[in-house]
Amino acid sequence: MRRRLLRIAAAGTALLLLAAAGPADSPVNVPEPDGIWTGPQRGYTPATLSGATVIDIDALDALIARDRPVLLDVSLADRRPAGLPADRPWLPAHRSVPGAVWMANAGAAPLDPAHEALFLKRVADLTGGDKGRAVVAFCHPECWGSWNAAKRLVLQGYTRVHWFPEGIEGWQERHPTTVIPEDSAWTALANGEAQR
Amino acid sequence: MIHALAKPVLNRAVLVRSILAAVTLAAPLATAGAALVPGPAHAAGASDDEAERLARWKEIQKSIFGDKTITATDSLVKVDAPVRAMDASLVPITLTMPEKDRVAAVHLIIDDNPSPYAAHIAFGPGADAGEIKLRVRVNNYTNIHAVVETRDGQLFETTKFVKASGGCSAPMGMSDEEAMKGMGDMKLKFAEAQPGRPVEATLMIRHPNFSGMQMNQITRDYTPARYINKIAITRGDKTVLTLDGDISISSNPVINFGLQPGGQGPIKVVASDNQNGRWEHSFTAPSATN
Repeated sequence: MRRRLLRIAAAGTALLLLAAAGPADSPVNVPEPDGIWTGPQRGYTPATLSGATVIDIDALDALIARDRPVLLDVSLADRRPAGLPADRPWLPAHRSVPGAVWMANAGAAPLDPAHEALFLKRVADLTGGDKGRAVVAFCHPECWGSWNAAKRLVLQGYTRVHWFPEGIEGWQERHPTTVIPEDSAWTALANGEAQR
Repeated sequence: MIHALAKPVLNRAVLVRSILAAVTLAAPLATAGAALVPGPAHAAGASDDEAERLARWKEIQKSIFGDKTITATDSLVKVDAPVRAMDASLVPITLTMPEKDRVAAVHLIIDDNPSPYAAHIAFGPGADAGEIKLRVRVNNYTNIHAVVETRDGQLFETTKFVKASGGCSAPMGMSDEEAMKGMGDMKLKFAEAQPGRPVEATLMIRHPNFSGMQMNQITRDYTPARYINKIAITRGDKTVLTLDGDISISSNPVINFGLQPGGQGPIKVVASDNQNGRWEHSFTAPSATN
């Protein structure tokens, strides 16, 4: 999986990297974009996120134990492939961090205004309107969605935004995952194409 | 200019790959270390996890087998897979069925894949049903179930937990056109034949087996599912096996199977996909003398 991800990342972001290769001269040394990243959503991500804290699994464990943060999962949902015969069982189950709120593809960019507004409203609900409440955004490794979701919140003035780039894979290395349903308000608005 | 510059980027990607491989190898150690730390909070989580996985299996079982009883077995079928797969889109699976003469068919189910029913393989009189190997996509840490159907119609299951994720949506790293080049080309290789022993054969089919869950990162469109849904292998007038496949089979399918000793005639392979692709090839099997 790594190999493939890296291959596509190398191909997909080659031009960007050429334009902005950092002094470390490594494809992993991806500079932060100016604002939300609208390029390919799968690929190398920066090591930093200005205005937010980048955390690993140890830091996430500590944060959960201490601050009960709002956990935001913005992974893409599995869509039934066109052409899959009707008699094949299609049983997508989204495994994630227990207690997380899943708004599929909420880190997409561009994101249509209705979804962007709903994302911000849901986060406002979940934080009880407290922009100082700890929030963690995650999806998968080499997934820009969670970087973007965290950035959106930073831009909205949230002061304790955390980005967990290891995502669900990083979590399941250490802890059990659980099947979570998509946030119901998010599902109610979602209509496929609009999110892309 | 782009070409000249792109090259070093790819070379660096190779470097990063080896670093990541090293990290991946080290990860089990770290996990083992973490497991030693007592964590009552997570202990409860683990049993919930198991109950949830069992409930999912029951749901899948019902959708495929209805109310038929499935008995757990240690002897009729065994699943071998790497506990931690290096490439989730190419996870090698070996199904071993020691009491091969009792086996009529085997079902392979990858519980946490959104389309869990990966393959059904029915053996004919031309097959040696002792072992099947194939490569699959694994979407998430999951149980993999093998269900054997005996000649008298009973079902037996066994399972193996595999750590891999992202396999169903992993892009192939090339354009769709490139991935479809030579689609339907086949090779059939044989292990050295020994008199009176089954012959091990390896079938390789060039086919992207697009899962329908792979997104083009530039256009953000999903490549439509195009996968081999049937492979029929015969030798002379005898059926060897019939495989019903799904999007969980890896691109460029490779299947190892056994041939009954003493079979006659050429081996014919007919593969078809869900978009009406059909490919037929004939191969000459080696014959063991004496």
